[in-house]
Amino acid sequence: MPELLKVSITEDINRRSGASLRIIVPMKQVPDMRQVKFDTEKGKVDRSSAAAEINPFDLHALETAVQLKEKLGAAVTAISMGPRRAEVALRDALARGADSAVLLEDSKFAGADTLATSYTLACAIRKLGGFDLIICGEKTVDGDTGQVGPELAEHLNIPHLAYVSKLVEAGEKLVAVCDMEGEAHIVEASLPVLLMVTKDINIPRLPTFRDKAMARKAEVTIWNAEELSSFADPSRFGIEGSPTRVRKVFLPSEEGRKGKIFRNTNEEAISDVAQAILDFLG
Amino acid sequence: MINAQQLQEIVGEDWVITKREQMESYLVDETAVAIRPKPADNVILVKPASAEEISEILKLANRELTPVFVRGGGTGICGGAVPIRDGIVLSTERLDRIEEVDRANLMVVAQAGVAFGAMLKAVEDAGLFFPPHPGAENAHVGGLVACNAGGVRAVKYGVIRNFVRGLEAVIPTGEILMMGGKLLKNNQGLDLMHLFINSGGTLGVITKVIFRLCPKFISSGTLVISYDNRHEAIDTVPEILQSGITPLAIEYVERNVIEISARRLGMRWPAAKGQAFLIVMLTGDSEDEVYAQGERVSNICEKHQAVDILIAERKEEQADILKIRSEVYSSLKDNVADVLDITVPPASIGVMMDKVDTIAQRFDTTIPTYGHAADGNLHPHLMRDLHERGILRQVKREIYQEAIKLGGVITGEHGLGVVRLPDLDLCPDGKTWELMRGIKRVFDPNNILSPGIGLL
Repeated sequence: MPELLKVSITEDINRRSGASLRIIVPMKQVPDMRQVKFDTEKGKVDRSSAAAEINPFDLHALETAVQLKEKLGAAVTAISMGPRRAEVALRDALARGADSAVLLEDSKFAGADTLATSYTLACAIRKLGGFDLIICGEKTVDGDTGQVGPELAEHLNIPHLAYVSKLVEAGEKLVAVCDMEGEAHIVEASLPVLLMVTKDINIPRLPTFRDKAMARKAEVTIWNAEELSSFADPSRFGIEGSPTRVRKVFLPSEEGRKGKIFRNTNEEAISDVAQAILDFLG
Repeated sequence: MINAQQLQEIVGEDWVITKREQMESYLVDETAVAIRPKPADNVILVKPASAEEISEILKLANRELTPVFVRGGGTGICGGAVPIRDGIVLSTERLDRIEEVDRANLMVVAQAGVAFGAMLKAVEDAGLFFPPHPGAENAHVGGLVACNAGGVRAVKYGVIRNFVRGLEAVIPTGEILMMGGKLLKNNQGLDLMHLFINSGGTLGVITKVIFRLCPKFISSGTLVISYDNRHEAIDTVPEILQSGITPLAIEYVERNVIEISARRLGMRWPAAKGQAFLIVMLTGDSEDEVYAQGERVSNICEKHQAVDILIAERKEEQADILKIRSEVYSSLKDNVADVLDITVPPASIGVMMDKVDTIAQRFDTTIPTYGHAADGNLHPHLMRDLHERGILRQVKREIYQEAIKLGGVITGEHGLGVVRLPDLDLCPDGKTWELMRGIKRVFDPNNILSPGIGLL
């Protein structure tokens, strides 16, 4: 286990949370981005073109939660919004140390942008009851916005720490190192708080075969829009609640390496090379 | 001896290199420095673009009696690509086109200079699968065939030889041969194609390869099984195979070695428990099938005191494990004087490992050993201290002798190249070597192609 976490357990935190932290890890099932194709006409990722898996950043979030659970004691809940097949990702989370999993599945949630997604997740987290920590990955590899985490914190009216690369202390308060634009900021926050962790925070563990085999049969709680209704305004779900419109999707052209042979070795050739470099640099 | 101008007339002036400083990287391969043959002083590097140009070069070399050393990716570790005599290094790097991935026939047609990794990607992009994985993805496909590369996935599908269906090669007298094709059956005379597989660039220059492909498996999982005891790990292997499960690969590694490789790559070996590990790669038509196999493998391993069984299913997690395993040699290389590739009958692998340990103790050294546990192919690493103490060859020969006593061979993967030739006296079978030399003479009457390599 990496020596990333120096933990101070306080009586306060034990008393307040009934002997353990309550940690929520929002996760997303994403297509394998090395294989996925884009539907440029519809402006969408063609999700049928590649296998689905847990967003790799979310694995670091889950690992952070599981390490806290091992050191402090915690109940870890993985939550995801998506179609029924996202159960597979949540079962993987169960195998990797989450204690329970909730899937938000309803056609009313479909077409959500980051605002509607974070709103829906916030409603579900309210329904779950209290929490001490929400730990997200830095971003998802398909949307790449990094917006859902901070928006979720705003909906829930809690502080958030972004780009957390290290936890220095977790106890009465939380102290983390946040990598912001080349600087490391040491930031302190009171609980409850939302963290967005980077890939530097840990190396996610592999599940054991037995845990994984068991988790494949584990139950995932599924909530639809109706079940969130007492915590939500349904008009803010899905495409209806999404102000974002994708106007155009295009793929940058992949230019291969281009070679050019300069044959001479005289002054003129040298200035030709210099000019070529200047042209390249624009 | 051919001069540069004659070669320039064939390939154009840009593709003939005579300055030593511009060809340094073409004069060596990945062979450990302690045993790497010294390249000759007078070498011309030529980079032809077609079989026809190669034909002209070979005709010229045959006329002028100039040695030609064929070079692919230069990833070999037995000195097979080193120009050990004055002559020409012929690099096939410009034959770098994947001509076709033929889904209907399940074949790929690639020129010899295509990097293995590029071919794998093209095959994968077409939704197909090429099973052998000899390790270095910067190896060239021509080289894979010339060396009959093996690697970790041989358990289920076999080595490169099992996948070659057709070959184009230019023989030293200049004729271009097309052997085999997109065929699964071919009894049209003696099978010359198979002579070229593992010929190590001695019979001809391979210019094009047709490999058979497989449909992609639907589901896969890599188990990392930890043991405290080496023998328990090794004893598991035949039981897995007897149970009717044939994994894609079963690799054996020990913590002291695998952690060095992981560290060098900036990665972490996933298993926290145990000292000895089996890496078992399972594939199937469904996730359920992989789990059913995993269940049976786990039961066998637990019976043998496995202390932990992890599973990697995500593509990158499985790839990471393969990468850490594949890079072991690279990570140890600076301290290694020679890496062996002895092969014994699979059931003798535990005995062979003990013999290596006994030899190590007797010579007061450590010999890190890992290998392909299900196919009897082991890689004892002889460290530099043996070279410095002047006993490298003695230790090596003792290991060879033990392998031969068990019914094994001194090389199962890397080939003879240059560095294994001095110990061929341990494999006395006069007529065999005589016939091999006879075959060489038929193809290469003037011994211009890779002289001194692969054959005494």
